[in-house]
Parts: sequence; C-alpha cells; structure tokens
Amino acid sequence: MGIIQHGDSSNSINNVNNIFNVTDNVSNAGNISNTSNTNAVSTMPPPGPVLREQDQYMPIANVIRIMRRILPPHAKISDEAKETVQECVSEFISFITGEANERCQSEQRKTVTAEDILYAMGKLGFDDYIEPLTVYLTRYRQSENERTSLRGDTFLKRGNAYGPMMIPPHGVAPFNEGFQEGMTDATSAAARAIMGGYNHGAHPGGAAGSSSQQAPFDDDLDPFVEFK
Amino acid sequence: MRQAGTYSGILSGGISGKTGPHLLPLARIKKIMKKSGEDVKMISGESPIVFSKACELFIKELTQRSWMVTMQGKRRTLNKEDVASAVMATDLFDFLVNLVSESGNSGEAPPPLELDTFTSS
Repeated sequence: MGIIQHGDSSNSINNVNNIFNVTDNVSNAGNISNTSNTNAVSTMPPPGPVLREQDQYMPIANVIRIMRRILPPHAKISDEAKETVQECVSEFISFITGEANERCQSEQRKTVTAEDILYAMGKLGFDDYIEPLTVYLTRYRQSENERTSLRGDTFLKRGNAYGPMMIPPHGVAPFNEGFQEGMTDATSAAARAIMGGYNHGAHPGGAAGSSSQQAPFDDDLDPFVEFK
Repeated sequence: MRQAGTYSGILSGGISGKTGPHLLPLARIKKIMKKSGEDVKMISGESPIVFSKACELFIKELTQRSWMVTMQGKRRTLNKEDVASAVMATDLFDFLVNLVSESGNSGEAPPPLELDTFTSS
C-alpha cells in the first residue's frame, strides 16, 4: 500500500499514525491507485515477434456477448473472469484441433475437416456437442447448397473466403428454375465436393464456360444425373 | 429481415442462412487452429465454422458452471476464481486445469463441488 510513503514503515508508531490519517489516505488513494496503474502498464512486456496477444484469442467482446446470453441480466463479470474464459476458448480450440490433426495424420490426410473435429470432440468427452454441431453443419451445407445451385449466375458475384471453392460452369443455370428446397443427395454430394477439404482432382478448367450439360465432377458425384 | 425463432435462432444464429456473420471471427479461429501444432497444414473451409459454434457451446457451458459457483457464494459478480472452481470440478475441463491455476489462482478455491451431474441445456 502506498501509505508507506510516510517513511519508516517498520516503525509501528508511524503505522498507527498512518491509520489515523484517514483524510490523507483517502485523498491520496486516488493518486496511489493511479500510480499503481501506471506502474502496471509500464511493466507489461512489449509485444514481441510472436503472435500478438489479440491474435491468439477470440475477441473479448464476442466472448462476453456469448457469456451474457447465459447469465441472468443482473449478473456481473469481472475483467479477470472475462480474460480467463477468453484464454480457455483458445485452449479448447487447440486441444480439439490437436486431436483432430492426429487423426488426419494417422490416415495420411493433410486437411483437417469438420468430420475430424467432430470425431475429436467425441474422443475428448464433448459428446454432447456433437449433435448440435452436426445439425448446425448440415444446415450450413444446405444453405450453401441453395446458394450454389439456385443462383448459378449470381454465384460468381459472391465470395467465399474459406476453403477451395469450385465454380460451376454456367451450364448450371438451366437447373435453377423451380428448384425446391429439398436437395437431392447427388446435389448435396456435389455441394460437399464444392466446399472445402475434398481436394480430389477438382476440375479447375471445368469452370471455363464449358457449355456442356455434362457434370463437371467425377462420375460418382454427377450432380445433374437426375436431370439428364 | 428474417426473424429467427427461439430454437432455430440458436442453431443458425449467426449464419444468417449463408456464410454471413458468425458469432466468432472465422479468420481468428483458423489462426488459433494453425498455432495449435507445427504440423497443422490445411484446414477445410468448414472447420472454422464448426468451431465457431463449438466455441459458443463451450463458452456457454463454462459460464453456466462458473455461475453456479458464484451463486453458491451468494455473489452477483462472476470472478476468475469461480471459473477456476468450475474447471476443477468438471472432468471435461481437465485440459484447462493448468491454464486456470497458472493465471495466478492462489489455490484457495472453495471446496470442490459436484458439478458433473449438471446437464447442460
């Protein structure tokens, strides 16, 4: 405590005097806390060449937002608790990814897929997460499906920053009209092939405005087989 | 603008039906995944998306369990020690034990609770 500034702290009489100098302590309190804050800031290690702290964690605002969804409205969260949860999330990601990657390597695959992650979750005890995640993933794939199948012409205007994306030839346009939400398995398979992770001889050249009605994919994934 | 129902909102909350905004930034997730090991080479496009939902579930579970400790202490502020206690009391969170104890937890945590009977919603 900054009260020690009064000098001989080992002298018990001084300490007693300090205790009774209530006004002084109070008026100094602001200064003291400011000083300690300043000290704290100056002793923080400067960011080094390693990943900056903010790069290794989820943004704290996002973490807090999720926490608040669970907590009652009157609940408060200490700053340290927020940071701890933030760190735990990164640890969680690393933990699961490590296991998922191990599986990949043991099967001689290079790409960590969503299935690997779900497997790792099961193996590491997060069984309860698997079902909601599977549902989430299925809905995501379906929505991607709709995007790519229904909007062949507008598809090119949309970007997907994640994973390799196959751009279907313009020939997909005739299949747009009246296509219902219930996707066929063939189309789903095609969508899966489009989306990341399945690097099996995808046809980069096939997108070059081929006017053929033939499927650009491998035979077993012919998406338009039902429409020929 | 589409209104998400209570349940479908939980499932699709953040996707907005497309690859739109998620609750957690995908690029950051990908970065953390890559950092988890030297030999993590390629990551499928769907992986960060699965993780964004998984992290949400994880944060919710950790928060719920921590809040139970807070309530036990008849407090309204969830603090770091509550998180540490929840970790100690939950087998599933064993991988976090070192993390919460090296955060400066003095080790004077309240007596361990039986939180494993808690079923997360």
